[in-house]
Amino acid sequence: MTWTNSPFRSLDARRLLSLVLIGAFVWSLSSVDWRGGIVHTGGGDALKDFPLALFPPELSPGFLKLGLIASWQTVVHAVAGITLAIIIGLPLGIIASGSLGKPGRVRMLVAAVMRFILAFMRSIHELIWAVLFVAAFGLSSLAAVLAIAIPYAGILGRIYSELLNDVSEGPLDGLRSAGASPAGVLIYGRMPMVLTDLLSYGFYRFECAIRAAAIMSFVGIRGLGFEIQLSLHDLKFAEVWTLLLFLFGLVLLVDYWSTSVRRSLNS
Amino acid sequence: MITDNSKLVEATRGLRGITFPRVSLYGFLVLSVVSWAYIIFGVDSGLGDLFTGRSWSNAGHFFSQLLGLEGGLTGGGRPAFFDLGRWGETGKLAYKTLMMSVLAIGLAGFGVLVTFLPAARNVSNGELGGSPSLALGVLYHVLRLFFAFTRAVPELIWAMVIVFFLSPGILPGAIALGLHNYGIVGKLSAEVVENMDPGPARALRSAGAGNIQMLAYGIIPQAMPHFLTYLLYRWEVVIRTTVVVGFVSAGGLGQEFRLNLSFFQYTDVFLIILWYLILVLAVDLLSAFLRRMVLVR
Repeated sequence: MTWTNSPFRSLDARRLLSLVLIGAFVWSLSSVDWRGGIVHTGGGDALKDFPLALFPPELSPGFLKLGLIASWQTVVHAVAGITLAIIIGLPLGIIASGSLGKPGRVRMLVAAVMRFILAFMRSIHELIWAVLFVAAFGLSSLAAVLAIAIPYAGILGRIYSELLNDVSEGPLDGLRSAGASPAGVLIYGRMPMVLTDLLSYGFYRFECAIRAAAIMSFVGIRGLGFEIQLSLHDLKFAEVWTLLLFLFGLVLLVDYWSTSVRRSLNS
Repeated sequence: MITDNSKLVEATRGLRGITFPRVSLYGFLVLSVVSWAYIIFGVDSGLGDLFTGRSWSNAGHFFSQLLGLEGGLTGGGRPAFFDLGRWGETGKLAYKTLMMSVLAIGLAGFGVLVTFLPAARNVSNGELGGSPSLALGVLYHVLRLFFAFTRAVPELIWAMVIVFFLSPGILPGAIALGLHNYGIVGKLSAEVVENMDPGPARALRSAGAGNIQMLAYGIIPQAMPHFLTYLLYRWEVVIRTTVVVGFVSAGGLGQEFRLNLSFFQYTDVFLIILWYLILVLAVDLLSAFLRRMVLVR
């Protein structure tokens, strides 16, 4: 092996980047407050008890039933959130893709503004939206659903607009030469071509929405996160593990469903 | 007229007849109708409130207080975001938040770096060097399960658990964020190794390279750019979540956000949202720049 082929040849961009990242990591360690110990009083015991509580988790029928109900509540909010996100995200995505209306400056400007709005919607975390909505409208399921729907519509809108723009122009030219309007091209050309991709990405986001719905407990919405919070406060770690496993199972189930759907759509 | 209909036909093929995606779609529609019914007719749906003038005027007051257009319970005064001193104070918290995100990505990256190789099937079964053994096979499944579990639990729930052990500050938050992202980046990195071109590794093996040499010359150079790209992508997601994790782990902007909200200091809340947007934008730009560095040699 010659020296020129060695990975230690020179400080190229990639290695420089690795060094920068390691440097940043070390730097960030220095901003941790190490004084007074990192484990707080009583934390040591909890740290020991918590992993042990997994053997066995709380498996009484009553608690399992509670876990199921909490899982259902989480699913309900996730499903409602993602459907609303699709309903909001699709039209916004279509506008942001600039495939509607006459070609020209106005259309480009509208598309650019819409892309900015979508970016804003998704740059604020769902829980911050939730906190703001609860402060504005009061605590309700609808506030939580809306809080999930807005950032997810921002993500879906962006992806949808990209998908709509990436279709091959051949079939569209065919429609155009037959005299189709931009709306006609969209409905009969672009939409059918990307329909499976739209669904597939929506299903993918559904899995993330489950996690988002679980943390809505923080603003007081019932579900798995809410019960985890309650059990933690009661120091019932075995119950916490049961609920964590419910969440794990739920995510696995949705993940499996969405992967199977996507696989059979794309095959 | 030339119309390429085959593409259109092909694209909608998966949704014709009784296929799995079709059944899933209908299943999902039923589920969404049931879910919406559950929420709308639930006790605390809040739907009724949407149609009362009072809740809209409350919301209006809230948002105009947020923007400092009307004095809130704290009685007017200058909005916090016109106060340079407040910018400075919250700037320090923004810096802490940024450090929390870097620390989280660093912890996740370090964890992945140590564990991603045995979590790749073609490493654990000895295809890429080493020799297969029962222990490696077990390790593979344990690691994959661990990735899936850490990934399934959201950052905020990890944070709720971890503040039970660790002193408040940026460390518990970073560990919570790190754990969740460890599962994500770990799975992706292991898959990179599984999908990579076995050519260089085999060539090295046949040239008599040892395990360490195979790793250094055959595997790492191929996997590294992907690994770094994933970390940078996740960093963009992490910076959005740091504030939320700060709600419980008491570090950085998140804690201040919560305090200000509960003391009705709404212009301060708005200032923190501004800082948050600045951080998100800065990290997005920086990460895009660094990712280009990984690609271009």
